[in-house]
Amino acid sequence: MPLPAKAFQLWLHQVAPSASTADICRISGIKRTTLAQQLVRGKVAESTLVSISRALDLSPLAALASFDQYGELATRQQPPSAAELVSQIATMDLLRAVISRSSPAYGGYGDNGSSMTPDLTPAPHATSVRNWVDAIDDGELRHRVSAATGVAPQNYSAQLTANRLSPELAVATARAAGVGFTGGLVATGLITEEEAGWPPGAKQTALDALSDGELTALAGERLQALGKSLRRQEQEQAQTEKIWENLG
Amino acid sequence: MIGVLQWGTLAVCGIATLLRVPSALRGENRSLFSILALLTLAILLSIDAPYVAVDQALGGVNVANLVLRFVIFAAVFFLGLRMARGFGADDSLRLITGPVGIAAAAAASAAVVVVFLMTDTAGSSAGLVAVAAKGARNAALVEYYGAAGRLYPAFIMLALFPAMVRTLRSGLSVLVRCGAALLAVGTVAMSLSLLFPVIPPPLGFLRYVINYMAVLCVVLGLVLFWLAKALAQRAPKKQASLSGVPRR
Repeated sequence: MPLPAKAFQLWLHQVAPSASTADICRISGIKRTTLAQQLVRGKVAESTLVSISRALDLSPLAALASFDQYGELATRQQPPSAAELVSQIATMDLLRAVISRSSPAYGGYGDNGSSMTPDLTPAPHATSVRNWVDAIDDGELRHRVSAATGVAPQNYSAQLTANRLSPELAVATARAAGVGFTGGLVATGLITEEEAGWPPGAKQTALDALSDGELTALAGERLQALGKSLRRQEQEQAQTEKIWENLG
Repeated sequence: MIGVLQWGTLAVCGIATLLRVPSALRGENRSLFSILALLTLAILLSIDAPYVAVDQALGGVNVANLVLRFVIFAAVFFLGLRMARGFGADDSLRLITGPVGIAAAAAASAAVVVVFLMTDTAGSSAGLVAVAAKGARNAALVEYYGAAGRLYPAFIMLALFPAMVRTLRSGLSVLVRCGAALLAVGTVAMSLSLLFPVIPPPLGFLRYVINYMAVLCVVLGLVLFWLAKALAQRAPKKQASLSGVPRR
């Protein structure tokens, strides 16, 4: 459920009393028609709020928390768990870490920051949403989220596969898993790690804390999932080409 | 209204056929061009004025209607082959080209010819309406004739239906799936034509709607595949690759 337009306009009036809608759109880079449409429909996207907060140098997290449905964001501030942090490391960064730990040519054990092992790419990555949910899932999480929100499990899974999750569902997932609320918002790319209040280098620290066995097993799982999705894409491409060859 | 539907379908088929002339001259997918040309001819022969003109030239004993039946058989057979190959439906392909398919084609052709010869077919009339009005025996024979003519197309289309549903449920691109959906609707409509004898006379217009909808959907579905192919060839090729994994 996006933000109600009325509450959004109230918020906008509080944070930028003198700015016109045109000014807001100009500084935040939102198309005027987009914002107008969201206001007319009475539902303002969370991403709109985040863009405007950024443009006004406000904390997007605090801005979200000022709305009733996201009030929890301010009340229960819990740092991300190590598993959540690791889930937000891109697969290729994990593989690089494996190689850097094994090969002296990379500047020795745990080399990082060099040209061979660049800094970790900021979240979100190509499968960040699913990896996040997998990292906090105790086996029953999807059922609990589905029961709490009324979203069908297959729709939930479809969002994860597409690497998407609505902010509302991301918060509901975090609530059902009993973890901090920022993890899902970062994994879906709504806010950055910095905006979520994650300490700089938190991901790197979590990565360094993994044992060789844990890191290798995790990288292996990621690589297998990536291989699966690439194979599926290749199959679909082959199918499409067959259709075109015969019917196009 | 029926006139609009008839001439509109003819126009769509004719334009689609003409659009394919250049690629047919280049030697791409000539059989698809012939399928479209056959469908256009079939539609032309199903409309009153052109039918009477053609039939008068052929002797005025409704031989044109017999020709129409075989034009449809040929179009449906070639279309079935192409679709079975395009959708990778080896089971459908075996069904169509195997003993069962040959037997169905032979039986339908024999039935159409025999019933036609048994009927007093003097006097050109599209859809043999005037012929059926000559008496109870003729009316019954025309009904059998129509049923025999609809049997083979329905057989081919039912053989292909599972393959089209598979394609629809796959993760292929939207245009391709829209094309498959249109083809599926067309095939269902062709199979529905088997139910014509039980349509009550006041709803007789449904016969026209179903017939022309079937051809329209098939032709538009083919055009969509073609469009998808042309668009994909123009845009840079989206290959499944490690760097091509969708990133946010």
